[in-house]
Amino acid sequence: MSNSNQTESSSSQERRRVVVTGMGIASALGIDESTVWENLTEGRTGVGPLRAIDTSDYKVKIGAEVPEGLVEEKLKELRRRPIDRALDLAVVAAYSALTQANLLTGEAPWEEQDVAVIFGTGEGSAQSHHTAFNSFFKKGPRGMRPTTVPRCMYNAISAGLSLQFKLTGTNYMIVSACTSATNAMGTAYRMIRDGYAETVLCGGADGFFDPFFFGVWNNIPALSKIPDPLKACRPFAEDRDGTVLGEGAGAFVLESHERAVDRDASIRGEILGYGESSDATHLTSPSVEGQAKAMRLALNEANVQPEEISFINAHGTATKSNDACESQSIRAVFGDATDQVPVIANKSFFGHTLGASGALESIVSLLALEKGTAPPNLNLENRDPECNLNLVGSEPVSIKRAPAMKNSFGFGGGNGVLILGPAN
Amino acid sequence: MSDSSKEEKIIGQLLDICQETSTEERDWDSFGRDTTIEDLGLDSLTILDLLYDIEQEIGIHLEAQDVVSVRTVGEITDLLVAKGA
Repeated sequence: MSNSNQTESSSSQERRRVVVTGMGIASALGIDESTVWENLTEGRTGVGPLRAIDTSDYKVKIGAEVPEGLVEEKLKELRRRPIDRALDLAVVAAYSALTQANLLTGEAPWEEQDVAVIFGTGEGSAQSHHTAFNSFFKKGPRGMRPTTVPRCMYNAISAGLSLQFKLTGTNYMIVSACTSATNAMGTAYRMIRDGYAETVLCGGADGFFDPFFFGVWNNIPALSKIPDPLKACRPFAEDRDGTVLGEGAGAFVLESHERAVDRDASIRGEILGYGESSDATHLTSPSVEGQAKAMRLALNEANVQPEEISFINAHGTATKSNDACESQSIRAVFGDATDQVPVIANKSFFGHTLGASGALESIVSLLALEKGTAPPNLNLENRDPECNLNLVGSEPVSIKRAPAMKNSFGFGGGNGVLILGPAN
Repeated sequence: MSDSSKEEKIIGQLLDICQETSTEERDWDSFGRDTTIEDLGLDSLTILDLLYDIEQEIGIHLEAQDVVSVRTVGEITDLLVAKGA
């Protein structure tokens, strides 16, 4: 009964196939697919000493930032100046995705097109909020600039993308902490699957390396205290002690299979299923039942059995509680197949990019399916016996070109799971 | 201060403000009296930031309706001079 809403609504309608025709990334590993993939397979992390803020007064002094100058250089192509880090990252990723999908021809300003924008974020316009707080405390209520409202509003990212690229479908944000991007992609997938849209630009973005937001995260026991940036983020390792934050954005162009074929678009992969649930148990502690429910719903919708899954791209935050809980959830769903299905976790490379993580890690998943190779896991010298999974080691491994699972779980108890398929 | 050096100072202040306000990359070397609002990429929203910054930096309060008919940096400068800048 508890699962009936999603199953009934999905099975009672004719489902359209939803394919990926464009992907774009802005991350600590780079802003183009080939560089990102090379860094992943070579085992090079994007975590380093933080540049954006003076960390003298902070417990944590490391994070995963986009290499210096790359975002600014890309924005110049669009004749844009940096506005807010999260929006800037989203614009860079979306520009690549739309260009790859062959939806932007010539130079800006482009003609209007009926494409919706559904994006996710955890912290939204963090940089603009910080600017506004600063102005308020320095100059009082008249100290804040008039554009503080549109810069800080929670839909600033989707609105900014819609304006920049002249996309006239709907635009809105999904805000569900670390599940945001996966929820946004799942929502976009459903819109197309059920005939409410033909093409959706979706994904997630977060850019919160400013003194206030980074300070807030410093004061909760979720971040690693290991000072060495190369070793700090250790998903599923026995000696893990927390995650490392990262900035980034991942963007996808999803469209109906019919439209992609009609316009002879290059298909990069397919969304086969999506499941979501809420723990309703605790704001920050995950639950096996909630996570397992989302995984089962996604598998069911994709009509895929656990043993058919080629690999799992785990949420894998490297916190004590997430990785242990996610391991139990995977075993609860996969049973004996758990011992066969390879598991990867990308946060030791990108850092935890919060509301962008599901999109960045879905890009990695589709690249892995294209290449038939799963990238390695970093810092897994000491596997945690409580995380009894078939974890990929320090070298890439071959995988079958079959559906993959991408998990995302967030503070607030939201769980989102995608089943991603190779281009077919 | 002579009228021309007063104008020059205001145009310099406006350049600083516009560089801060603009969301677009542009060639600022050509900034001067003949630069239009359109050239600056300001719209009805971002022009509010411009007015706000003028009040903060130059100390002259302009209402949105004051600049409705203004089309160039030179005309803004003249308006500010007329208001006592």
